[in-house]
Amino acid sequence: MTFLRAVVTGASAGIGREFARQLAQRGTDLVLVARSRDKLEELADELEVAHGVTSEVSVADLTMPGDVARIADRIADDERPVDLVVNNAGFGTRGRFDQLAVDRELQEVDLNVRAVVRLSHAAAATMVRRGEGGILNVSSMAAYQPIPYFATYAATKAFVTSFTQALHEELKRTGVHVTVLGPGFTKTDFAEAAGATGEASRLPDPLWMEPGPVVAAGLKGIEKNQATVIPGWANQLTATVADFTPSTITRRIAGFSRRFTSP
Amino acid sequence: MTSRPWTRALVTGASTGIGREFVRQLAERGTHVVLVARSEDDLQQLAGQLAEDHGVGTEVLTADLTQRNDLERVETRLRDEDEPVDLLVNNAGFGTGGQFDELDLDREVSEIRLNVLAVTRLTHAALGEMTRRGRGGILNVSSNAAWQPVPYMATYGGTKAFVSSFTQAVHEEARGTGVHVTLLEPGFTRTRFQEVADVDASTRQLPDAVWMEPGPVVTAALEGVRKNRGRVVPGWMNKVAGAFSTVSPPVAGRKIAGRVFEGEVRS
Repeated sequence: MTFLRAVVTGASAGIGREFARQLAQRGTDLVLVARSRDKLEELADELEVAHGVTSEVSVADLTMPGDVARIADRIADDERPVDLVVNNAGFGTRGRFDQLAVDRELQEVDLNVRAVVRLSHAAAATMVRRGEGGILNVSSMAAYQPIPYFATYAATKAFVTSFTQALHEELKRTGVHVTVLGPGFTKTDFAEAAGATGEASRLPDPLWMEPGPVVAAGLKGIEKNQATVIPGWANQLTATVADFTPSTITRRIAGFSRRFTSP
Repeated sequence: MTSRPWTRALVTGASTGIGREFVRQLAERGTHVVLVARSEDDLQQLAGQLAEDHGVGTEVLTADLTQRNDLERVETRLRDEDEPVDLLVNNAGFGTGGQFDELDLDREVSEIRLNVLAVTRLTHAALGEMTRRGRGGILNVSSNAAWQPVPYMATYGGTKAFVSSFTQAVHEEARGTGVHVTLLEPGFTRTRFQEVADVDASTRQLPDAVWMEPGPVVTAALEGVRKNRGRVVPGWMNKVAGAFSTVSPPVAGRKIAGRVFEGEVRS
């Protein structure tokens, strides 16, 4: 399955930018979604020069319902059909939950959960009607166990993984591919944005991946309609152990390692 | 703690099912109750009955927790220091059954507002207050739907995966603060849930042995939050199912869950 036109959210940096780049390399046109017009336009130019693909720039803050509705309408547009949606935008907040600003926690749910559900719904309804397409939702290894001091983030990712795997089963016979990507520690701005650079710098090297192989694994997974893609052997091992370990134990380990690595 | 660890409990979704049983058992133990639900009439009637049967103080707080203003009123009540609430039971929630792309999106979003956003906000309001006081309890009601993806109830399974992950993380964070944070994961319980979610026909085929009455579910939960257990799975059948879902590969759980609810949309 090759895709003609892909919507990528959070396209201006990190894993999202790498998705745009690898898709362009394969000749897929793009609809680039993020908050910063400057960064998106620069990326669009770069992709056109390097790979000759057309990119639409769609400036949107997906914590805002109006902006999400605009992107949903774009996905449903039959004039310029989108046949791949990559729900990549997301962020995390770190700290003891009761001390974090509740508004920021709610924005995190709005972006990581609500926007993913709304855009998946627009994509699923349109693509099922056409009998083809792909929905690739970016979750995280954080989905596999509760994470003290990252409580809301891990929960949003538990949502995305559960939701996307269920949707994969539901749409199995419709021709629509649905895949959840569960990256581990990836070299992006994520840790910095979450205020967790201290912990991040203490993690051993084999746990870290570049965005390149993460995205390549994700695209291969959606082409084959794999339900779940966990890139990298270290992450696959961790996910397998977490799957077979009760959450009463994993939550303690996650909490302990967080305390252990805190400054 | 004594047999009456809580002075005043706020219970959401108090008018029916597991929520109603929570307020009944709490009142029986002498805990005053703040009843939160959408239907004023149901709550007034319940309040009158509890006062008469158990002589406890009752407050009725009519609120639709999918609405921001209503939610803020409940948060304000949780922060009130004059008649402090020392137990919060986040019980309100609903599910939707069907193939996701055919379900009404607004209802899916309401489901997220209630099952996820309201729980997050109320937990935050209560936890801040209780941490300052150095005591209190928060009991979040999740579901066995958290244990595996649930095809044909995709959003519901997602919201409960959220609640289970979130609550256990907060339980760990609250260690040593005096605040008890407990997750309840009931299995199939005899309430109006299945009817509301439109999964009545498929769940009715399940054997009798998997079903529990609200009574023992609530008893196990109250015992759990009193002892500050991180997670309570009520009933031996659910414990077995929970253990099975842990030791089996995730794909098995999702296929089985899909088989239960598939009939509902294909029949």
